[in-house]
Amino acid sequence: MYEVTLKIKRYDPDRRKSWIQEYKLKAGRILRFTDLFRKINDELDSTLAWNSSCEHAQCGTCAVKVNGKPLLACELLVENAVQYFGSPVFKIEPITVAPVVRDLVVDLEQAYANVERMQPYIVEPAHKQSQEAPSQIHPHVLERYVEATRCINCFCCATACISSHRTFVGPNAVMASVIRLMDPRDKAWKVRLDRLYDHRGVSRCHTSKACSFVCPKEIDVAHFVALAKEGRFGNVRNR
Amino acid sequence: MEKSLRISRTITCDVLIIGAGGAGLRCAAEVFERRAGARVVAVTKVPHAQKSHTTTAQGGLAAVDPTDPVDKPIFHMFDTWKGSDCSADQNIIQRIVESAWDQIVWLEHRGMHFSRDLDGKLRKRTFGGHTIDFGEASAYRAVFEADRTGKGIMDTLWGETLKGGITFINQAVATELIFDRNRCVGAIVFKLKEGEFLCIAAKATVLATGGSGQVYQITTNCRQNTGDGLALVLKAGLPIMDAEAVQFHPTGIVGPGILASETLRSVGGILRNKDLEPFMEKYAPKMKELAPRDLVARAIETEIREGRGVMNPDYGVEHVWIDLRHLPDHIHDVQIPEVSSFFKKFLNIDPKKELCPIRPSNHYHMGGIPTDENGAVERGPGEIVEGLFAIGECASASFHGFNRLGTNSILELITMGKFAGEKALEYIDDPVSLPKDAGEITFSHFSKFLNAQGKEKIGRIRSELQAMMTEKVGVFRSEQGLIQAMEAIKELQERSERAALSQRSLKMNQELVQRWELDNLLAVSMVIVCSGLHRRESRGGHFREDYPERNDDFHYHTLAYMPISGDVKLGRRPIDMSIFEARGPDYEKFGLIERKY
Ligand SMILES: Cc1cc2nc3c(=O)[nH]c(=O)nc-3n(C[C@H](O)[C@H](O)[C@H](O)COP(=O)(O)OP(=O)(O)OC[C@H]3O[C@@H](n4cnc5c(N)ncnc54)[C@H](O)[C@@H]3O)c2cc1C
Ligand code: SF4
Ligand code: SF4
Repeated sequence: MYEVTLKIKRYDPDRRKSWIQEYKLKAGRILRFTDLFRKINDELDSTLAWNSSCEHAQCGTCAVKVNGKPLLACELLVENAVQYFGSPVFKIEPITVAPVVRDLVVDLEQAYANVERMQPYIVEPAHKQSQEAPSQIHPHVLERYVEATRCINCFCCATACISSHRTFVGPNAVMASVIRLMDPRDKAWKVRLDRLYDHRGVSRCHTSKACSFVCPKEIDVAHFVALAKEGRFGNVRNR
Repeated sequence: MEKSLRISRTITCDVLIIGAGGAGLRCAAEVFERRAGARVVAVTKVPHAQKSHTTTAQGGLAAVDPTDPVDKPIFHMFDTWKGSDCSADQNIIQRIVESAWDQIVWLEHRGMHFSRDLDGKLRKRTFGGHTIDFGEASAYRAVFEADRTGKGIMDTLWGETLKGGITFINQAVATELIFDRNRCVGAIVFKLKEGEFLCIAAKATVLATGGSGQVYQITTNCRQNTGDGLALVLKAGLPIMDAEAVQFHPTGIVGPGILASETLRSVGGILRNKDLEPFMEKYAPKMKELAPRDLVARAIETEIREGRGVMNPDYGVEHVWIDLRHLPDHIHDVQIPEVSSFFKKFLNIDPKKELCPIRPSNHYHMGGIPTDENGAVERGPGEIVEGLFAIGECASASFHGFNRLGTNSILELITMGKFAGEKALEYIDDPVSLPKDAGEITFSHFSKFLNAQGKEKIGRIRSELQAMMTEKVGVFRSEQGLIQAMEAIKELQERSERAALSQRSLKMNQELVQRWELDNLLAVSMVIVCSGLHRRESRGGHFREDYPERNDDFHYHTLAYMPISGDVKLGRRPIDMSIFEARGPDYEKFGLIERKY
């Protein structure tokens, strides 16, 4: 058993007030931070608002900042957290990519608008979509961008990114565009590149690699951002 | 403080999708494909459609490739029929299986990142219960995107619907269906973020709210799967079909409820009780750990019931062990790396050196809102409700009968989603008019929640319900247990009336929504119990200790109605046997066969 203290940044939209609230609780060593939030709701304070969905580290809904580090609350075990941060006292804040709705809940819709801006779909099919067989993609081609397709849009990277959210679409949004630039099934080059290199695009990146450092899926986000900066999308362009 | 609740805005659309998971979005995409510029609104409980539960499906989706030299649709149909314990509808099986490959091609052309073989074609893998030549050998039938097939589908469908011009209403719950005589004309939606009620008038409404796993204590399902869609139709006086058909996976990882795949047992994992005894020898002397899923699940629960389980102190859940310590390193590293990593990540356990805690986990609800082959909701056998569709896990067409095969669920989403989309379009030139009392049911419930007095706690009632359902209505059921469960639900229902909320704000008041969800969980639990009580036999996922065999006097679907809370009425729907009745080649395989492997 651990005795942990969570200092949670709260926000009440009705009174437009924010404050830090301290919760002390006993927790088993392998409970996760989402379990702690649930425990707070069930035992101490049912008004604390927080988000999660699958709690299998596969949907990216439960991202929060713990002692400043953006991470997924559903995969942070109490004992690992105590070891990593060297203390059983944790400061917990919402991620900073969008306005707070209440407590730890942010308006993810606004954060997602950046990804949507980069058109995470096939804009102009390279092949006729009516043909009967699936297209063939050589595994070597797929390999170049498959890592990027693992992104769950948890916005941890965007939270850690040192470039401003107001001026930069963010590393995961850049990656969404890079995927389709490398995917031989889309040929909407011009539209994509225009957006990628516009005033909110990839030129805003400072190459700090903070994004790769925090990604809970261990994706080398900065690698893809760098490819975008250099315009290296592989040889598919000469297809 | 008396709040006066009101509709803050009324909007109109062509198609309203309630639930933006794989099924809902496939349906929306079909609408756009056939009618560019259609006005489609999709409501979802999660902060963004991509967070829907379909995202966690790992394994793959089954579809027979017409260029495959050995596999044939008839084999897939047979496997599904046999797997369903002869309780699926054969017209549905045929329709889904025959259109499966076209739907894979559709997804591929729209950008899904399927795993590829060395020629760049779609890779395929085997899956439990999927065979060629009527059970002779395993079929390579499941296409997949690494270990994240569901996410691949969600990403693709989200992109397609975005392109089509969909309007998402995120972090919102549909609380009431609106009817104009026999036609559904939309729904009332509560937006958590703003704390506002919307009235959405729609020419066609599609329910795609997913599973109901939160009824149970241990589940692989996400936090939002509280059976809302089922509760919505019950309140509207419509039935739920085969509610008693719930699937349990034998090896859920204790704590987070993540699936530990079947592979753990096939590579040689040994199940042990608290005395470290390898107990499967007692239950299946020959097959041992490799016995079928349901037998293994019952063996584990028996050990726990008879006091040979182990208590996990952190989660307060009893479990048994799976022992993987004796397996060579290369098996750990090459054959089961994902599952090993789950134990490491979520439990800090090294399966090479330590025992791993597992327990049967609720996984899938075969039962759901009864529909025809287009996903049109039925009021009774053959009698549809105009303008209302149900697809995906919340629906029951029925493709899975009483037991679902792995990889058949996400296949169902993308096929039934498409069919419902096609059919929904037939309504979009018919205008709708809203009745005056739209929203009143919602307001009466919500003001009751907001004004409740008393010391009961929502979280505690929910936990008690989940523990009770796991114990009495889980892997094992009996007459006595089910009757006790019914009493327990009534008592919990009464207690829930005395749960005062800690705050009365409407904006992102999660406690308020949890209170509403609790009512849904109680309603769904009640119909599971009553349907299970009536079915005095064992079939697929429904196992009665007092009636351990299938009895074909029960060869029909159960319909359960509960227009007034707690008052369940039962009916029946015949099981479609059209493949058998057509007497085509191999028709005899589609009779009332045994589910033995
Ligand atoms: C861990 C796991 C692994 C799985 N692996 C596989 C696999 O490999 N192959 C396979 O075939 N199947 C698999 N399944 C099963 C399959 O994933 C699900 O059955 C399927 O994804 C359900 O899809 P759906 O579209 O019906 O619902 P979901 O994807 O759950 O979507 C439901 C939607 O409805 C919304 N919603 C719910 N209630 C409301 C409400 N009241 N108002 C508004 N919106 C609401 C939710 O927010 C969500 O957007 C797996 C399941 C789990 C849990
Ligand atoms: S790249 Fe990683 S950190 Fe960034 S959104 Fe995707 S999964 Fe999250
Ligand atoms: S490398 Fe670029 S994108 Fe990544 S965190 Fe730094 S500035 Fe942001």
